[in-house]
Amino acid sequence: MVETVLLVGIVASVFVGFNIGGSSTGIAWGPAVGAGLLSKVAAAGLMTFFVFLGGWTVGRNVMDTLAGDIISIEISLAAGVAVLFFIGLGILIANVFGVPVPTSMTTVGAIAGLGLATGTVNYETITWIISWWVVTPVLGLWIGAVVGRYIYPELNRRFEISSSEGSLLALERGGSIPRPALGPNTTYQELGGTIVVLIIGCYMAFSAGASNVPNAVAPLVSSGALEADPAIIIATVAIGLGGFTIARRTMESVGSELSDIPLLAALVVMITASTITTALSWAGIPISLVMASVMTIVGLGWGRATRPITAREAIRGDTDAELSMGALTAEPDAPVTKIGEAESDEALDAGDLFNPRAIVKYVSMWIIGPAMSTLLAYGFFTAAGIS
Amino acid sequence: MISRVLVPMDGSEMSEHALEYALEAYPEAAITILSVVGEPSSMWGSATGIALADDFEQAAREHAQPTFDRAGELASEVGREDDLETAFELGHPVRAIINRADDYETVVIGSHGGTVAERLFVGNVAEKVVRRSPVPVVVVR
Repeated sequence: MVETVLLVGIVASVFVGFNIGGSSTGIAWGPAVGAGLLSKVAAAGLMTFFVFLGGWTVGRNVMDTLAGDIISIEISLAAGVAVLFFIGLGILIANVFGVPVPTSMTTVGAIAGLGLATGTVNYETITWIISWWVVTPVLGLWIGAVVGRYIYPELNRRFEISSSEGSLLALERGGSIPRPALGPNTTYQELGGTIVVLIIGCYMAFSAGASNVPNAVAPLVSSGALEADPAIIIATVAIGLGGFTIARRTMESVGSELSDIPLLAALVVMITASTITTALSWAGIPISLVMASVMTIVGLGWGRATRPITAREAIRGDTDAELSMGALTAEPDAPVTKIGEAESDEALDAGDLFNPRAIVKYVSMWIIGPAMSTLLAYGFFTAAGIS
Repeated sequence: MISRVLVPMDGSEMSEHALEYALEAYPEAAITILSVVGEPSSMWGSATGIALADDFEQAAREHAQPTFDRAGELASEVGREDDLETAFELGHPVRAIINRADDYETVVIGSHGGTVAERLFVGNVAEKVVRRSPVPVVVVR
């Protein structure tokens, strides 16, 4: 009987891990694959390895929190399986409708729902975790905004990451031993840029492992039905499976969304989000990699869009200080041109891109998702009478 | 006689139907195609991409161009490409459309555009335009 329940639980874990692999491979490698710097298979391979590394090291701290600290009792095997189904449900909704449902938050929500139903919630831990969920997006937004406004234009001038025709490296067979040389059209700067992109992708994969491996298996580890070590391996295999299969699609969808952002900006986002996620995971706080990423993206764009003087205005000598308030005031008149006619020089306002209300609406989805999982889990466990 | 018509287009099939309807229903009118780019999306990629460009107007124009090209094709099918004007705006479609609508006599809009996710991020644009527009709105379905 216990074996059957455990088997169902592992299947649920694999389903969750599989979907996590699909979505996080897209985020970690979408930009690099989109830029043609490596193949999807190579990306999935690197993803699997670094997810394992992240899960095996830093991920254990998050595993401890999820498996033991949120509620004061251990999660029984049956309850763990149910919790996994709620996590899986959240991910399914996310993948089918393309809505961002943060997995880490859904997991904490489902476990907290179990705690509410059994009166065992560890409120101190929950408050601590939730306060970091508030701080993280603000931090990401702030870092993004500072970089976007003051640093990015300078970075953009200094670094150019490009991918030239032909392979990156070639073997030079002229001497006695063949040795690698730059491929046709490859410059040293391109080689350096590619290496940086790969390293940052690996870093992001590491942080994805640290934050996401525990989501897939912690509910089973809590009761001792599964040891932590094999659990991490199962989760890694599942995430890798997702990386090699459905991530082909997410790398395209997430990749196409992220490919609208210059590669350099994507790298800034990845470094910031990975660092936030790794640091919080180290402290045992379950955090969503996607949340940190998106808020950094918004911060970057908003910081740059509301920079005090745009290039065009600087050229025209039209430096009205009120332009820095652009994000708050709508500019009703944008240019009207006949097809094929020259552009009028009336200015658009980039601040319109980041309407505060649209951002608030977006962030509210992060609150609704976990709240739903808490309520659903609470209702289910109350009805089922698990204690 | 209606002489100035605004047709917001997002590249969807429904918005093409809106243009076809406008071309047919208002044979004398000057039609302005409005394309709103950099709208909120699941990772804010398009908005941030435009904001980070060296020349964001140029970037926005490039995003809008495929929609304008398609509109031009549809208009030239009925020999009315000369009646077409184009305009693009940044950010939230509803706000951009409402801000402009005052300059026109009628807004012709498709009943819905994108996927579930897009409707979640920006809502049902047609519905909100109908509710807030200062001028009459024709919803094409």
